[in-house]
Amino acid sequence: MHLVIISGATRPQPKSNTAKIIAAFQKGFEENGNTTEVWYLSDRKQWDNAKNAFESNEHILIAFPLYAENIPGIMLEFLSGLKPKHNSHTKLAFIIQGGFPEACQSRCCEAYLKMLPAQLGCEYAGTLIKGDMFGLGMVDDKNREKMLAPFVEMGRHFAEKSCFEKYVADAFATPEYMPEKQIRMFNMIGRHISKFFMGSIAKKLGCKGNLYDKPYESSVNNPV
Amino acid sequence: MKKILLVNTLPENDLSVSNVVQALESEDNKVQVFYAYEKNFRPCVGCNVCWLITPGVCSQRDGYDELLKAYLANDAVIFLSGTTLNFVDCKMKNIIDRMLPLVTMGIHIVDGQCRHIPRYDKKFRFGLVYSGVADNEYLNYWMERVTLNFGGESLGAYPVSDVKGVSACI
Ligand SMILES: Cc1cc2nc3c(=O)[nH]c(=O)nc-3n(C[C@H](O)[C@H](O)[C@H](O)COP(=O)(O)O)c2cc1C
Repeated sequence: MHLVIISGATRPQPKSNTAKIIAAFQKGFEENGNTTEVWYLSDRKQWDNAKNAFESNEHILIAFPLYAENIPGIMLEFLSGLKPKHNSHTKLAFIIQGGFPEACQSRCCEAYLKMLPAQLGCEYAGTLIKGDMFGLGMVDDKNREKMLAPFVEMGRHFAEKSCFEKYVADAFATPEYMPEKQIRMFNMIGRHISKFFMGSIAKKLGCKGNLYDKPYESSVNNPV
Repeated sequence: MKKILLVNTLPENDLSVSNVVQALESEDNKVQVFYAYEKNFRPCVGCNVCWLITPGVCSQRDGYDELLKAYLANDAVIFLSGTTLNFVDCKMKNIIDRMLPLVTMGIHIVDGQCRHIPRYDKKFRFGLVYSGVADNEYLNYWMERVTLNFGGESLGAYPVSDVKGVSACI
């Protein structure tokens, strides 16, 4: 099977978590001689090729970062420029990855994705959801490989089924919500650790202010 | 009298704009219209500068800071959008994506779900009015979710034909 993969991320490929996830997925998908082509919407020069690939292929996967509970604006722009297909058997599948850890954060977007393929003359081929991906580009290689291993496995699954089966996607997405115990731990210790972690990254990046600064405080309830 | 910001991604001369302004003003509100159609705000590039390097300030200097201030200044914000693929138009989605500087990178848990800690002590009230074909039930759901992320309250999603609905909620 030949699969067209489109990245809906706005971050350029070398910095994008989506790109890393796509690479892991490709590894599993291509194991048995399947082939892929990948187009990155972060690079506008690739849009024509992505459009042509959408028009002339029947297996399409769009992977993207969750942006404000839905697809990023540039991905919406790209999709709205496509001509809906007629009499096609094109299958459109999705990978949503987000920063928050719980799968429930992506369900609103998933509900939209279920409606989307029909508007493009395609069939819906399932959605993979994975949270807690914000730090993917910041962790060391060993931890990154650990975080990406499930995507390699999903590449294998997709190669076999040409879709993401619901029960597989549900198991993959866990946790749906953070367990009570984890919430308690987070409130007690986790949030302090993450605050410290964020502070030290900010310092390394040259941040001079406080992460909780309010630069537009004077505007609050004060229209010009 | 309530102060309302109308963020409009429809062309300035679109009839819907004056209808919506009129409907909002008829409830004794003061409406500030922000015409975003011509502005072509760039998409959020996910650089995290507004979280980690210049907290609260976006790295893209294209005038969006005016909007950030206006969200904070007004009592309610109504987004007036065209539609595409059953959703808001791309300009509007980019505008919503660019709201990230209003929250900090810090996380807290609200009603069992992770949320970003708001940057300002401001209870946002966001509503959506759309012109074109879209899934109303879905847009209501999405607005609820988006406003939750900013620690705010959704005023709902309304087709322009039902703009009275949103003015009643404000
Ligand atoms: C503008 C913007 C909006 C975001 N909205 C969400 C969100 O609603 N829920 C979530 O879990 N993560 C959200 N995130 C986090 C990203 O989805 C996450 O960091 C992702 O791994 C980035 O992938 P990328 O490097 O391919 O851009 C948002 C990030 C940005 C920049």
